[in-house]
Amino acid sequence: MSQNKIGSVLIVGAGIAGIQAALDLAESGYLVHLVEESSAIGGTMPMLDKTFPTNDCSMCILSPKLVECGRHLNIRTYTNSQVVKSEGEAGNFKVTIKQKARYIDLEKCTGCGACAEACPVKVDDEFNQGLGKRKAAFKQYSQAFPNAYGIDEKNCLYQTRGKAKGKDICLKCVKACQAGAIDHQMEDKEFEVEVGSMILNPGFKVFDASSLDYYGYGTIKSVITSLEFERLLSASGPFDGHLVRPFDQKEPQKIAWIQCVGSRNAKINHNYCSGVCCMYAIKEAVIAKEHSHIPVDTTIFYMDMRTPGKDFEKYYNNAKNNQGVNFIRSRVYEVTEAKDDSGDAVIRYSTEDGQICTDQFDLVVLSVGLEPGDSSKDLANMLDLKVNKYGFAELQPLSGVNTSKDGVFAAGAFSGPRDIPETVMQASAAAGAASALLSDERGTLVSEKEYPPELDVAGDVIRTGVFICHCGVNIGSVVNVPSVVEYAKTLPTVAYATDKIYACSQDAQASIKALISEQKLNRIVVSSCSPRTHEPLFQETLKEAGLNAHLFDMANIRDQCSWVHMHEPEKATEKAKDLTKLAIVRASMQQPVQPIFMAMNHAALVIGGGVAGMTSALSLADQGYEVHLVEKDKVLGGVARRFSTGFRGEDMKAFVADLIDQVSNHPNIKLHVGVGIKDVGGFLGSFTTTLENGEQIAHGVALLTIGGQEYKPHEYLYGQDQRIMTQIEMDEALYNHDSKVENAKNFVFIQCVGSRCDENPYCSRTCCTKSVKLALKVKKKNPKANIFVLYRDMRTYGYFEEDYEEARRIGIIFVRYSENAKPVVNKEGDTLVVTVTDHVLDRPLEIEADVICLAAAIKAPEDGRKLSKWFKIPLNADGFFLEAHMKLRPVDFSTDGVFMAGIAHSPKNMEEVITQAKAAAGRAGVALSKDQVESAGLNAFVNKRKCTACGTCEAVCSAKAVTVDLVNRVAVVNDALCKGCGACASSCRCGAISLRGCTNEQIVEMLNFL
Amino acid sequence: MNKIISDIRETARQLLADGKVDVVIGYEKGSLPLKATPCFVHSAQEVDSLIWDETCENNLAAFVAKTPGKKAIVAKGCDSRALVVLLQENQLVRDDLYIIGVSCHGVIDQRKIGAEVGEILEASITDGKISVKGMEGDKEYLFAEVKDATCQTCRYPNPVIEDLHLGELIQVSQDVAAFADVAAMENKSESERQEYFKEQMSKCIRCYACRNACPLCYCQECFVDCNSPRWLTGGVDRAENLLFQAGRVLHLAGRCVDCGACSRACLQGVDIRALNRKMTKDVYEMYNHESGISEEGKPALNVYSANDPEEQFLVKE
Amino acid sequence: MGEIQVETENKKYDPKIAAFLCNWCSYAGADLAGVGRIQYPPTIRTIRVPCSGRINPLYILKAMANGADGVLVSGCHPGDCHYISGNYVARRKFALIKSLLTYVGLEEDRVNFSWVSAAEGGRFAEVVKGVSERVGALGPNKGVFKVDDGGATDE
Repeated sequence: MSQNKIGSVLIVGAGIAGIQAALDLAESGYLVHLVEESSAIGGTMPMLDKTFPTNDCSMCILSPKLVECGRHLNIRTYTNSQVVKSEGEAGNFKVTIKQKARYIDLEKCTGCGACAEACPVKVDDEFNQGLGKRKAAFKQYSQAFPNAYGIDEKNCLYQTRGKAKGKDICLKCVKACQAGAIDHQMEDKEFEVEVGSMILNPGFKVFDASSLDYYGYGTIKSVITSLEFERLLSASGPFDGHLVRPFDQKEPQKIAWIQCVGSRNAKINHNYCSGVCCMYAIKEAVIAKEHSHIPVDTTIFYMDMRTPGKDFEKYYNNAKNNQGVNFIRSRVYEVTEAKDDSGDAVIRYSTEDGQICTDQFDLVVLSVGLEPGDSSKDLANMLDLKVNKYGFAELQPLSGVNTSKDGVFAAGAFSGPRDIPETVMQASAAAGAASALLSDERGTLVSEKEYPPELDVAGDVIRTGVFICHCGVNIGSVVNVPSVVEYAKTLPTVAYATDKIYACSQDAQASIKALISEQKLNRIVVSSCSPRTHEPLFQETLKEAGLNAHLFDMANIRDQCSWVHMHEPEKATEKAKDLTKLAIVRASMQQPVQPIFMAMNHAALVIGGGVAGMTSALSLADQGYEVHLVEKDKVLGGVARRFSTGFRGEDMKAFVADLIDQVSNHPNIKLHVGVGIKDVGGFLGSFTTTLENGEQIAHGVALLTIGGQEYKPHEYLYGQDQRIMTQIEMDEALYNHDSKVENAKNFVFIQCVGSRCDENPYCSRTCCTKSVKLALKVKKKNPKANIFVLYRDMRTYGYFEEDYEEARRIGIIFVRYSENAKPVVNKEGDTLVVTVTDHVLDRPLEIEADVICLAAAIKAPEDGRKLSKWFKIPLNADGFFLEAHMKLRPVDFSTDGVFMAGIAHSPKNMEEVITQAKAAAGRAGVALSKDQVESAGLNAFVNKRKCTACGTCEAVCSAKAVTVDLVNRVAVVNDALCKGCGACASSCRCGAISLRGCTNEQIVEMLNFL
Repeated sequence: MNKIISDIRETARQLLADGKVDVVIGYEKGSLPLKATPCFVHSAQEVDSLIWDETCENNLAAFVAKTPGKKAIVAKGCDSRALVVLLQENQLVRDDLYIIGVSCHGVIDQRKIGAEVGEILEASITDGKISVKGMEGDKEYLFAEVKDATCQTCRYPNPVIEDLHLGELIQVSQDVAAFADVAAMENKSESERQEYFKEQMSKCIRCYACRNACPLCYCQECFVDCNSPRWLTGGVDRAENLLFQAGRVLHLAGRCVDCGACSRACLQGVDIRALNRKMTKDVYEMYNHESGISEEGKPALNVYSANDPEEQFLVKE
Repeated sequence: MGEIQVETENKKYDPKIAAFLCNWCSYAGADLAGVGRIQYPPTIRTIRVPCSGRINPLYILKAMANGADGVLVSGCHPGDCHYISGNYVARRKFALIKSLLTYVGLEEDRVNFSWVSAAEGGRFAEVVKGVSERVGALGPNKGVFKVDDGGATDE
């Protein structure tokens, strides 16, 4: 490792993993170089319609992150770029980046789209999976960052036909662009950056279904891929969310999904489960039903339904039982075109009992698997990283994120298929790992902007400056901009009004700045495009001119006026006047808002000393923070102490011992072992936790890693015979060479004991793999052993599919049972007899067992409720911790400053626990890196005179930011926690609590001017 | 004198004599016939003014929060429900409150009598019969004939929270709430409903007697009195009156205990309760919520469920 | 200020509709309609609020009392709220105010609620179109929140 470390990190790939890692690192004090191959950040998520299991709109949850990432002062984003060379070692790498010419100057492009309108070339739109068209001058998708167009040199008329010959062919874009942003002579460039660490998340590509001709993809028009189907569903897709067949616009009434296309297929070297397809197929089937106004029949053809993630089983059951999605366990032989000219497709398949059936569908969706992207392979090659036989990066065992090269971390599908929350977790974990590596250099390369001192405008006569933008021709060609300017001049408080060709251009900003001082303007209104994209830009200008950024408002007369009323210029002008007027009213009543700073205690409290807690503690300690690790048990290690080997054969005993050793000897970690917690108080930045021994710990953040508990079976004669044991007990028995297992010949594993049942409706995720691993261990030691695994769905997701395949190959027998015909265990004399109904033979099978291993469920921790009350955090229906957002905030609680990891969040395997523990430490590190807790200040505030302490505000606040002080009988807002949603203000009957920037006074006055 | 009254007096006497409370809030005979008034008894000597009968129409919970010190209150079912809401909303401290629970058969609808006999000059109640001498004639009523509309559908005649119960409990047959009155209005045409409420709003003079009688209207400053922002323009016309009434009703949604105090307090006879009842019905049907029936509960608008119904208010597409 | 234009043939008005849009979903959806150049009637006057949870029911009453011909309220779909539960909290208020207004005889189509996501540009336009048509068909706001017949109180 280099002694000369650099406080900057290279992130390759700007999908959700890259964005999350970039934000985490930039927010913790590192300079980030974010390299993206395509012309915009976002990756796969923008293409998805909804996300499981919450059915959240993918774009809605992503776009705030795009904006945040795009605007971050310490994230340098390079689009159209690739890493071409790297040298150096952990702590100090020199990386060469090649950036392809975009032919449009990012500095000048305003994203108005005039070039695309003018461009005559139409090509298939990759973003829409080729289902729609785009121009050669294009932006990947509307919300893309950078909010700028680019020119596709492979299709542009000038680039392909004119440039080389020196002929001015086409160039319509150049004429259309009033900002002068187009530069067809732009050249590719190469440059070098120095970084201390790298995080690689180049993503995946979907399996090319046309390579398996029996599915008919590419030959039968009604066979499409699941990603194409996402675009069909998407409201911003090629058919505006109307569910139609792409080739004949017919609304499909009968749709099928075929699972495992390109997954679980050893013949094509794809002997792994892609892990996400079962869930996305269910989601697509459910959403298809919701989307369509005619009844849609949906059927999913599958081998095993693999829904082992958090709340996935519930989602599956809901689809099956309430939404009417059909599930057919089957093998699909082939898909052929219907003979009746309908354009339909016919699926020929065999059911479990061997029957061969055919069925005709309007649309067949292939649930294509995930495989390494082309650039992933190049990247791994270039950096000389170890990859597995499928081409995915191979990570170091039980590290969660470490590639084979020091200082280089991986996130997302680079190291194997994973879903969004797992990807986000890994990204935060990688960020945490990079931060730990470079902690000495934190803050050395980041910059902070300096502003002139703020003018005091209190008491001054309000002088509003109004700027109306033409946006080239985007606004001006519809709205009569000069008349809006004249109108604005007549309105109260307006001291100055003018128009701008592009209000967002550099020179317009300079002019606004100058006018603020010349005209003594103390409120600014810009009527132009969307405040969602441009408000920060103008606010920046206000700050540079010494005005408080909040003495400002925008009217959106482009996106919400000229663009949508193109044929009604007069009415559009009237509307533009009204919108401008409303903005003036609001701005004139705006008061300066100051950010609020509160003290940050830089210590962390980790509750629970299992593998998750110890991993989190170590990561935070390595990041340089003081950590208090509390374990109520007398020893550290948690349930992992009872495990012999990990899922990739790791020696767990040694691993846990080593972890205990590390946390015990780390100078930044203080252990509190054998003591529980008595009370918790406080909030982000200043928590105080009291231990049972009376000791008080002050800390800024808390990580809850309290694990779970093994279900104690009351079924299958458990507890009545020593030969009936749980998986953990069996593992121990094997490890201790217990004669019960050593001498046994017949082994029966029963799956789903206490999982996927009424009592615990969720899947415990790890038990299928665990049973397969135990069975393999037995079988390899004693090839003569007869081993039966009785299961419902074999959920060996990811690479564990290989074990399942091996197990079948070496003679372990898998017998499926159904939920309503569970196996029965009887004791006849001293003989244990297991009876199960075999689905294939359709008759009862009796097995005399020497050992019965029960896959007992993983249950939520006992102490969850206590912590829930103390930290004001929610639990889900199953008693596990409920994260702030199931997709994008998988380790954060909705209460700021509190994080989670491990089994307490949901059942998962050791590798996943470690990833999540590092992710929680990464996220906690972001919070701890701040000198102070800062809040933008657009918070709720209380008029004490009016407040009656009724507690309504407290009840409706999801951020737990409002509490009622019963002594002084007044509600108190905690500025550190308030998110500024205003639910309190709208719920307050007394008008006592309001929201800065959106007060009742402002809204009512706007309504008065309506 | 009936047993309950003597028990109330005795209880009050004990509480005051023992210094357990500073004041007992109950009813005394009013200066107008058939109208008891709230009274505040501060010493054991004064307890004999306390009464309890069908004329005790005020919701005493309205006075509790404003009365300092430790207090006892004579509470019928609806008073107790209001107390529960006030407790949920931090307006009362349970330890400072001693609830003398009485079961209530209902109160008299004076407006109905007044409509028939004119201004009531004299009245007496004996054996459930009410004899009235009015400006425009005399009449005798059975209590059931002049029972207030609120009380006819009452499902909580017995206090839901109390420290002591006096008298016998009343059996309630309704296990679900009935809203025939609201349903009848709902079934009218849009224009009929509009006409009805236009007429009601035209009657309102915005004297705020309804607000003042309401045990749950306790804001320091009512939105109608607010200067910044000015929700109302200040004029008293039908439209502004509706803004006030609708605003008030929305503030009571999920909290109103349907005691009817607002309607009884209204000198103009505005059918305020029709609005409150509509909200009560909606909250009951949509959120399966009845306000003020358990201390652990929360006002309906303070909570939510992911499955709350929404079909009926979302725009049709 | 509510300028009313009468189309001679079908007597439809161009109503003025106060639109409360949450910043994170519906306002973004409206932006997306613009990006897609999806045309809809120029009837709405947008008031951007952080969250549908910020919308005080009194705003809706006030907008109607001030003579808006209609109101459109739109937030994130349930479950999508940027602030986790703002729209859930709002949903009960919206259900009740809508029910109350209908009950007192306000024309059903005047006050409208919808959930529009940041990806539903087309749908946003459809919603505005539908609301505008229906409010337009009702004519100017002359209902319960306006005194058009001199109908002051009895006093």
